[in-house]
Amino acid sequence: MKKVILSIFSISLIAFSTPLASQCNSENFANACIPKLGSGFNFLKSYKVDSEGGAKEKVEYSYVFTKGTQYMINLCASGSATDGIIVTIFDSGRNKVATSKINGQFISAIAYPCNATGIYYIQYTFDGAGGKCGGSALGFKR
Amino acid sequence: MFNFANNIAFMRSVSIAIAAILLVAACGKSKKPDEQAFLNSLDSAKKGPTIDEEVINSILQQIPSPLEISVLLKESGTKYNFSLLNTPDNLPKYNSNYKKALNLGVYGTDLGYTNIYQQNKDGIKYLSSIKSLANELNIGQFFDIETIGRLATNSKNLDSLLLITTENFNSINHYLQTQGRANLSVLLLTGGWLEAMQITCQVAAKDPKNKELREKIGEQKIILEQIVLLFGFYKEDENMASLLNDLNELKAAFDKINITYTYKESTMEVVNGVAVIKDNSTTTIDITDKDVQAITGITNTIRTKIAS
Repeated sequence: MKKVILSIFSISLIAFSTPLASQCNSENFANACIPKLGSGFNFLKSYKVDSEGGAKEKVEYSYVFTKGTQYMINLCASGSATDGIIVTIFDSGRNKVATSKINGQFISAIAYPCNATGIYYIQYTFDGAGGKCGGSALGFKR
Repeated sequence: MFNFANNIAFMRSVSIAIAAILLVAACGKSKKPDEQAFLNSLDSAKKGPTIDEEVINSILQQIPSPLEISVLLKESGTKYNFSLLNTPDNLPKYNSNYKKALNLGVYGTDLGYTNIYQQNKDGIKYLSSIKSLANELNIGQFFDIETIGRLATNSKNLDSLLLITTENFNSINHYLQTQGRANLSVLLLTGGWLEAMQITCQVAAKDPKNKELREKIGEQKIILEQIVLLFGFYKEDENMASLLNDLNELKAAFDKINITYTYKESTMEVVNGVAVIKDNSTTTIDITDKDVQAITGITNTIRTKIAS
């Protein structure tokens, strides 16, 4: 009986510890991004970024940015630095304020010294085929 | 052929089946005491009839951290003033979950303020009150008082202290929202915002020529609009409806302030692997002395009601 219980326990351990190809642990990526915020930045929020196997075109969050404060938003993903994930900031009128894709180059962090207080949208989009999985962190400093 | 991948897939199926059986068996049992206590504890702020949790959560996540204001105060040279804060000794006054959630937010802001100014002795007093309120709301498991207490004893740990405190409050809010108890999260964030407002207004009253502080007060109009929007979902709750009336009075005072936003395309350059933005947009905030006085008066009245 002991052997049977031990076998079931071992099988369960193996099965649950082997990730499926399509699984996305965006929370891990988001947490991994927090210590990567630049020096002097205080952590504010972490964001999960999961295209759900390509089903989602974008993931969006919002935050009130205030004048006189510098914000940093970074990206973490498996494989290459950003794995085709792009973060773009829009103001409340949906005007583009910042993006992490500059001249075709994927940048893993944006430093944004805010000059106009308001609600901003932090939008994550996905470049290239397949599911994208990552995380992001937001920090601030004066 | 029964290769390794098939083997793993088979084992996964077996274990999922076992897990499902265990789960069904567990669900058949009566609720755990702490789960029951959690359900019982929600005396106030009943769920609204058709509340769109997704909309509420999306508004909640916009509310900025009160820590931003504490940092502004310190950076602008304002001296630490414990008397501006809600004393941790008020804890026994908070008997309803409505008051507990609001003052958990208030004390959270006060803790952040003491942390920023590295006033660890005061911070530890707030930690104790925060832990009590969080326990009574059955969300104490997200507040790591041992680690925070240890970090608070050494001023070199400021970054870690701020990080873990922010993470703990984020976890509490996330948990409340995923449990369909966003009403408590609304109260927590509102309490935190009102305390930051109260501190800013008191500091501004002593330094009326400080343009940055006046503007900081004026731009809170944007946040108050979001908070009022949130309270609109809970009008059926007596306590929240009453607070909404007070917040609407505050909103009327803020409505006299003009915030003008001008968009101008940003410029960007890559510096050491970071996209550095030059924000060319601007906001101008038209706020008079009379506006500041009116806002200060109403804020103080609401905060006194909450904290007493």
